[in-house]
Amino acid sequence: MFQDIDDLVHLAVTEVFGTMLNMTLSRGAMADGDHRNGKPHVAGSVGFIGKLAGVVYIHVPEPFARQITAQLLGLTEAEIQGHEMVNDAMGEMANMVVGHLKSRFSDRGSPCVLTIPSVVRGCNFCIEAVSSTEGRLYAYDCDQRRIIVELLFKTNSSH
Amino acid sequence: MGPKILTVDDSKTIRMIVARAFKPFACEILEAADGVEGLSIIKREKPDIIILDFTMPVMDGAEMLTKLKSEPEFRNIPVVMLTAESGRENVLRIAKLGVRDYLIKPFKEEIIIERVGRIIDLKAKNEAVHKAKRYDDPLHILVVDDKPVILEQVEAGFADTRWSVQGLAQAGQAVDHCSQRLPDVILVSLSLPESAGFMLFQMFRASIKTKSIPILALSVKTATDEQMRAQQLGFTGIVTKPIDIEDLKTKITRALNLDTSYKYFQRQDNMLVLRLPANFGPSVANDVSANLRSKVCEAVDAGLSRLVVDLSQVKAADVTLIKLGLSTIQLCQELDVHFVLIGSEAVCRECKNYEETKDWQFVGSFDEALENLNGKPLAPA
Repeated sequence: MFQDIDDLVHLAVTEVFGTMLNMTLSRGAMADGDHRNGKPHVAGSVGFIGKLAGVVYIHVPEPFARQITAQLLGLTEAEIQGHEMVNDAMGEMANMVVGHLKSRFSDRGSPCVLTIPSVVRGCNFCIEAVSSTEGRLYAYDCDQRRIIVELLFKTNSSH
Repeated sequence: MGPKILTVDDSKTIRMIVARAFKPFACEILEAADGVEGLSIIKREKPDIIILDFTMPVMDGAEMLTKLKSEPEFRNIPVVMLTAESGRENVLRIAKLGVRDYLIKPFKEEIIIERVGRIIDLKAKNEAVHKAKRYDDPLHILVVDDKPVILEQVEAGFADTRWSVQGLAQAGQAVDHCSQRLPDVILVSLSLPESAGFMLFQMFRASIKTKSIPILALSVKTATDEQMRAQQLGFTGIVTKPIDIEDLKTKITRALNLDTSYKYFQRQDNMLVLRLPANFGPSVANDVSANLRSKVCEAVDAGLSRLVVDLSQVKAADVTLIKLGLSTIQLCQELDVHFVLIGSEAVCRECKNYEETKDWQFVGSFDEALENLNGKPLAPA
């Protein structure tokens, strides 16, 4: 049913970044340590629960997260105070991407509900899925800045 | 302040984006983070429109909308849904709840402005506080008519003004032109092929950028059906062909509420001078009457309490002139303003014939008026 899930994710990510931030993203190849390089980064995430259940993380380096927030809100980076604005902006970006996916799932007869957005911050962490969960990583580039989108999902037979 | 727009979204980011989108407009933005807070603000502030998220904690958009629709006082407040959920089932479910429009995240700010602008009257901030333009200010007039002679007539007729005319033959050209430069007034021929004049009017009214621009219809005098249709659609006015340029200027002046007072009121030698032109008639009388009280009060406020009413160019004393004269005299008495009338021979003579004006005292020249008023105090006692 979701053999084209890679395409759905790609469409959602490029549309959200293109519309909200006027950024043209190109697909890049994953490299070792892309988001585990010891430098601070921020991952906005939203989960979905239904026949297909999972979670999407959008990882960006911390400075890039601040740039995204500033651009989204029409502020200068100096005006971004503390973590709260960045967390909310990154959570909302993830929410829009997963909202887009949810609508496509729903159109195919697999309705789901979304979790509230959350944000993970850190310097050297990875998200590990339990067995039976499939994981995909997608790398995007925009003006030499890297965005990693991570999708973890599994089919839920009880729905 | 303008209309109140309530944005209900659990994401502060979205609320900030919405607030930023409407920043150039004269409106008040109210924010709520969930349905409960939203309903509380609605009861307190009664917003003109609500931009509502669907998925929110505490009380989601659907529940808030259902509660809103059950309140007779608030049920008619238009609601625009702004949600990341664009699935067909969701759209149908939300539509059934009675929303006026539905916007999908991600969204462009222009789109949200456009959609909200279709429902409520949004005015640019600078437009809301804009000082009224004067008749002698530069104006940009767009004329959409496929008859070159009409364009030439309008251009020639405005040669004595600072108004620039852009003539275009096709509706599509007019739309392109307005995307580059917004005119102050648009004249649209109703006889363009395939009812293009009416369609153009509707397009301009549907766009937030052009919805406030006065649009006058150009129509042959006898084409009453199309004129009636234009009136029903809401054209600002009808200008009949053959075009009477003075009538067109008056209609533009009224449509833009242009300040014409400078043509009649001047300050000279520490006095206010009201000078009526040779072509005095009902239209001039209306202009003068509309400004009379404010101009005299303004002068008194500035320390001037002497008024010269110069009728030396007026050719006859008719009812319109007499009425204006009486209201001017009454205002002067009310404000303790000393006044002198200067009359042409005809006006002086004819005024003797009416009960209301037989006692009016005229002087023959501005110098005499000065002499007469020189003994009077500069400002009211």
